[in-house]
Amino acid sequence: MKMRGFEYHRAATLDDALATLSEFGDDAKVLAGGQSLVPMMAMRLSSPAHLVDTGKLTTHDTITETDGMIAIGMRVTHAALEQSALIATAVPLAHAAAPHIGHRAIRNRGTVCGSIAHADPAAELPAVAVSLNAQLVVRSTRGERIVNAADFFHGYLTTALEPDELLTEVRFPKRGAIAGASVHEVSRRNGDFALVGVAVHLEFAKPSTKKGAAVIANAGIGLFGLGGIPIAAVEAQSLLVGNPTSDDLFAAAADAVMRNIDPMPDNHATAQYRRHVAGVLTRRALADATNQALAAS
Amino acid sequence: MRETIVGPFAGKFVGHAVRRVEDPRLLTGEGRYVDDVQLSGMLHAAFVRSPHAHAHIRNIEVAAARRSPGVVDIITGAEMETLVHPFIGMLALKGLYDPRFYALSSKRVRHVGDPVAIVIAESRAQAEDAIELVEVSYETIEAVANASDALDSRKPPLWDNRSNVLFDFANTYGEVDAAFAGADRVISHQFKEQRVSNQPMETRGIVVEIDPKSSAITVHAATQSAHMLKWVLALLSDRASIPASIKTLAINRDRVTRFAKSAKAILTAKPELKEPSPMMPAMVKQFRAEPSRFVDLQRAMLGLLAKSDNDRPEVLARDIGGAFGTKGSASREDLAVYAAARKLGRSVKWIEDRNEHLMGGGHSRDEIVDISMAVRNDGTLLGMKVSLTLDQGAYPAFPFGGSMFSQIIRVMFPGPYRVPVMQFNGKVVATNKGTLVAYRGPWAVETFVRERMFDMVARELGITAAEVRLRNIVTMAELPTPMITGPMLDVRMSAHRTLVDAIAIADYDNWPAAQLAARANGKILGLGIATFCEAAPGPPDFFEHSIPGSGALAGIEPAKIVLEADGMVAVITQQVPHGQGHETTLAQVAADQLGIPIEAIRVRYGDTKITPFAMMGTGGSRSAAMAGGVVTFAARELKERIVDIAADLMEASREDIVIEAGNVHVAGVPARGITLADIAVEARRRDQNAAPGEAIRVAQEFDGGEGGWTQATHACWVEVDLETGQVAIPRYVVVEDCGEIINPAIVDGQIRGGIAQGIGQVLYEKITYDDAGQFQTGTFMDYLIPTACEIPDIEIHHIETPSEIEANYRGVGEGGMVVAPAALTNAIENALAHLGVRISEPYLPPSKILELAGVIQTARSTAR
Ligand SMILES: Cc1cc2nc3c(=O)[nH]c(=O)nc-3n(C[C@H](O)[C@H](O)[C@H](O)COP(=O)(O)OP(=O)(O)OC[C@H]3O[C@@H](n4cnc5c(N)ncnc54)[C@H](O)[C@@H]3O)c2cc1C
Repeated sequence: MKMRGFEYHRAATLDDALATLSEFGDDAKVLAGGQSLVPMMAMRLSSPAHLVDTGKLTTHDTITETDGMIAIGMRVTHAALEQSALIATAVPLAHAAAPHIGHRAIRNRGTVCGSIAHADPAAELPAVAVSLNAQLVVRSTRGERIVNAADFFHGYLTTALEPDELLTEVRFPKRGAIAGASVHEVSRRNGDFALVGVAVHLEFAKPSTKKGAAVIANAGIGLFGLGGIPIAAVEAQSLLVGNPTSDDLFAAAADAVMRNIDPMPDNHATAQYRRHVAGVLTRRALADATNQALAAS
Repeated sequence: MRETIVGPFAGKFVGHAVRRVEDPRLLTGEGRYVDDVQLSGMLHAAFVRSPHAHAHIRNIEVAAARRSPGVVDIITGAEMETLVHPFIGMLALKGLYDPRFYALSSKRVRHVGDPVAIVIAESRAQAEDAIELVEVSYETIEAVANASDALDSRKPPLWDNRSNVLFDFANTYGEVDAAFAGADRVISHQFKEQRVSNQPMETRGIVVEIDPKSSAITVHAATQSAHMLKWVLALLSDRASIPASIKTLAINRDRVTRFAKSAKAILTAKPELKEPSPMMPAMVKQFRAEPSRFVDLQRAMLGLLAKSDNDRPEVLARDIGGAFGTKGSASREDLAVYAAARKLGRSVKWIEDRNEHLMGGGHSRDEIVDISMAVRNDGTLLGMKVSLTLDQGAYPAFPFGGSMFSQIIRVMFPGPYRVPVMQFNGKVVATNKGTLVAYRGPWAVETFVRERMFDMVARELGITAAEVRLRNIVTMAELPTPMITGPMLDVRMSAHRTLVDAIAIADYDNWPAAQLAARANGKILGLGIATFCEAAPGPPDFFEHSIPGSGALAGIEPAKIVLEADGMVAVITQQVPHGQGHETTLAQVAADQLGIPIEAIRVRYGDTKITPFAMMGTGGSRSAAMAGGVVTFAARELKERIVDIAADLMEASREDIVIEAGNVHVAGVPARGITLADIAVEARRRDQNAAPGEAIRVAQEFDGGEGGWTQATHACWVEVDLETGQVAIPRYVVVEDCGEIINPAIVDGQIRGGIAQGIGQVLYEKITYDDAGQFQTGTFMDYLIPTACEIPDIEIHHIETPSEIEANYRGVGEGGMVVAPAALTNAIENALAHLGVRISEPYLPPSKILELAGVIQTARSTAR
């Protein structure tokens, strides 16, 4: 398990990184936290001839608010995400997801943008991005473009990113006034990738004066661990929107989730298991997100 | 909790949680592991390994790889056969066919990861680059992917056109049929244990150091037995023809004379070795059936005899990052690296990587057991029939492999219970999988199956799991009594007491009500108990009942203890500690005998140049009794010698000499005492022949005396989430008796570590091959080992059965792992019993739990 030889480039500036990527194209890879790339290189599953290390681009490690969006720079680690007060209040779903990512030591190095660019179907943050319909800011020497999360994930570990492109920023919409978020997952051990997981974000309409169940105004459900890509549970989302919360509604949403997925089996869990538990976790996460939103409102 | 002792302590060390002498070194990164050995000019090895489960090798093309940067040599299987002898199993058991095989495969590969060539390069990375350029043409053969394939005579044979059943045996104890005919009920079930793997933190590794000046060979190795590794490497390396060896001997007659002399010395010391070995008839039969086997063995033996001392290695084992049994073997890779270094005359390092270790570093368990218990309606056991199939993979471990384990499984099956009659049939089969090695209780399937089966019998009969055990377990009033398989349960066999205590601690009688109440609240809870005993090291006749003829070799534990010229004491052991803390515990034992602080004692191990010879090394939960015993007696003898000198020097009578905290004085006048350094000076003055640096040397051997058993009952509680299949362990209780405890912190650590691995076996770990023999668990993302997060607090209660026996220490290394899978699986079945669930296999990941509970459908998966 020794990696093949490669040339190491430490980018001094963003332009420097983009220039190197543009020079070497397919032969180059970005090195962010290295928590996914380095093990793959050690197993010789990935052998880039050139590595472009973004580690010195420290100006990109900020989390800022602009125009109702929360922008996360490409050097922001999972740990920084987890600890950010702004994220806790403005993007509760990302806040809820962070502690599920690996172990603390991994979160100290792994980056939010790295996770999304890597696009592991069992990872939390790609599902959060899909659930919130995040905007992904992509740069190359050719310019900048913004890709919606819904269009970003193309297949297993493949995305809309071209070889010369850097994901420089992720923008999450700021939560509404009455909102709740919940991430439920089952993993074999603490810190493992999820066998199946659900990231739920709910927004509620202003409570009417009448007593009664709260009405869901907006719902995002991202599913992970099912193989392929992170999945937005579109049918379940539309079942929820406009309706007052109830156990039956959540059960119907869970049914819709189970109907619409085609999970992959592996040595850790069967497809049947993943389908069943996706339903269970959807129900649990919807209930949690609702309780959270209404308790706070 | 007993107090932790820091610093000099004048009283008794044994029985106290003395801080481990090893820890400051290990915790500050100052440990010296094999990979820390850096030699100038040292080369690095990597292996070309088979990607196929079963294939003929048609051709190997290495020219391009040889030109790769940094490559020094590439040795293929064919060349290796000119450098080394084959591994020849020496376990002579009736009905056993033990295949011979070489360090590298030349004609056929038999599992994914089978080594076919070794690449030697300036760095490991360069060696791995070159591996990618080696082109091997394979012609695949149908794989024998599991035990049922091995029993299918239409599948291709792995070895020499023989049946894939390599060992077939049957033992009958008593009138089995009559007992079964007279039973109220006969209850039968088939159990399986999945294949798991030891996975110590440090993988295997070896540095073969060749001194450029003297060509002396030092093997730095992570091994559980330094002498075993030394002699296996010496025996199997430097393959010479019989005439060549004879010629060498003719020139070097002194080698023959020396051999004859040492053989005579051994036979004088151990006259029992002169008796014809009970293994003899089986051995003769093996040789008759295969004369080339005899020739191979003679050729290797003659070659060994012809070697000069300089052509035999010395082994040096320093710190070792765990083993759990896997480093008790001499591996094919060890021999290949050794041969390569010898060929090149240069030092070579091989550090196994995790992928290799998962694939070929050693697997274990992988049994199928059919069991029938004949019982009365009240739960009394009248007899049992057991049929074992053990899948040892392609290449048997050397020297201890599956066939040996099968015999311990047979002997241990009754455990601490009354089993009036027993029929035991066993088969050891060959499949296209990695090598089965010893793993913390290699016989553990007997406990898993028996303890699961008692629960099943209890359910069938409508009595509790506790009741069926209490009815059949041997009570202390019945002791001593032999197991039906032979070994004696002596008067310290307290399994019954551990069971009774555990039942009380667990409030077992109120469990059904508690469980029902919880279920009414939507909580699915279970409680499981399991009881066992382990030979730690077992009664004196234990080995003879397992493998007739092995007792004389296995039984002896030597130690030396030296008062050094500066007044320090060295305990020199053949044990090779790899995590067990012998540097602390043996020092505690010696310190108490000598009356000196443990800081004045150094435990030396792992270096064949200085340690006394024995083949067993560290393993089999033997150290506490065997090494603890011999160090006790040797230290006592040293004390006598010290007292002799002190009495002279102080003109006092021997009886009045006291040693306290290192101060040697006449009783009542400690202020006028002298030190061990003063004694050492006088001893050296008296003995002009004392070795450099030494004052008094004592050497002793110990046969284990009464030996004995360790026993325990575990109680495990679980909570099962019936929606997700997740299992939590809210409580875990152990009641155990390992005799007098040398160091409670170390004992508890051993128990906890074993239980952690047992929990791993049930909830997380499975080595997986698919139906075509493809290996599927090559990383730690596939093979899951529990971390601290997954292991609950473990409550440990100790019992010590009083005894007149001196050094009444018994081992605890394996027990936690042996019994935990049964306790946990019993708890899970208890939790799911209301759903009609019966559990036959310990591997219970969340999807399996939901399948058993009928929540989801069972998927047919190709992976087994
Ligand atoms: C033991 C372990 C457990 C883990 N458990 C989890 C888990 O439970 N959940 C989870 O989500 N993750 C888990 N991870 C992965 C971890 O979250 C990684 O940090 C993450 O997947 C990748 O982030 P990184 O910054 O380390 O990226 P790297 O490993 O450096 O890169 C990953 C890939 O993304 C590319 N890349 C990185 N940054 C950019 C960028 N800005 N623009 C374009 N391409 C880029 C790289 O070229 C590479 O192909 C685990 C990792 C380990 C080692």
